[in-house]
Amino acid sequence: MILHILNRAPGTSLVYREALAGMGPEDRLLLIEDGVNGALPSQVRHFEPVSNRLFALREDLASRGLVGRCDETVQVVDIDGFVELTEEADKTVSWF
Amino acid sequence: MATTEIHRYLRVGERRIALDPEGYLVTLDDWTPEVASALAQEEGRTLTEEHWEVIAVLRDFYARFESAPAMRPLVKAVGQALGPEKGRSLYLMKLFPDSPAKVAARLAGLPKPTHCL
Amino acid sequence: MDRHAAPRGDLLVILRHPPHGTSWLRDGLDAALVAAAFGQTVSLLFQGDGLLALLDGQGRGALGQKGTAATLEMLSLYDIDALFADTEALARLELRADELMLPVVPVDTTRIAAMLASHRQVLVF
Repeated sequence: MILHILNRAPGTSLVYREALAGMGPEDRLLLIEDGVNGALPSQVRHFEPVSNRLFALREDLASRGLVGRCDETVQVVDIDGFVELTEEADKTVSWF
Repeated sequence: MATTEIHRYLRVGERRIALDPEGYLVTLDDWTPEVASALAQEEGRTLTEEHWEVIAVLRDFYARFESAPAMRPLVKAVGQALGPEKGRSLYLMKLFPDSPAKVAARLAGLPKPTHCL
Repeated sequence: MDRHAAPRGDLLVILRHPPHGTSWLRDGLDAALVAAAFGQTVSLLFQGDGLLALLDGQGRGALGQKGTAATLEMLSLYDIDALFADTEALARLELRADELMLPVVPVDTTRIAAMLASHRQVLVF
């Protein structure tokens, strides 16, 4: 399992499409930095193919006032959760 | 990478050739065979026909690829240009002891190879 | 190469940025060259606008900055011969693999995930 990390928002960068193309059936996607904008209900459709494997970093949501505004399908993790996801993965791939 | 920091000057006839802290030319266009000989002499190396043909390979490499080769591509380029007998790291180690990619690049007036440590 | 087996290797470098403009493409090529100089088997995947790096006839920047075409031509001397292009990017840019400056193997977008899985390390630039 690969942990993919995306730090760009779907509204400003198309890199999310390449991240999705790179994801295998077990892989997970963690949204960080501006990437967390993709966790909004209006944006989350872009990540529909991986909806059960979509995570967002709480600290980056919090700094943007988005904690309570996340789509309910997104699993919110804090930095410790980020570390756990990394440990569970064979490798990580960053998309930016 | 070529640096612009002048550390010292090398005297070659009437010319003063600026060298960076690692002994590479600051201005690549300063290179002449006399400069190569002077650099080699400083290090106690004598350049033979075998050295000069490798230096020529390096200068061709740089003209074509805008980069000084690491060891592996240097071996390959020498092999392509001078034949498989010479395209071997052992051969280059003997010609340019210590670190062939770095030493030969310096004598050939190239910047320090960027893709080797 | 077996058409159906994903190419394997130590390092897969994914190049998504076009030449000039930013240093991402150059940085990605540098990472690939350093790894190859240390004996790692390296594959390159050109994705998105990264494919534009493979157009013929590139030159220096307006201010004389180095381009990346010369570096790409050097790849084979570093034994980097596993070059792949995302078919979706080829289609979107209306390019054919055979009109690019280096021989690349088109990879169907659905096979890219397998390619990431089959390399020990993946770097995206």
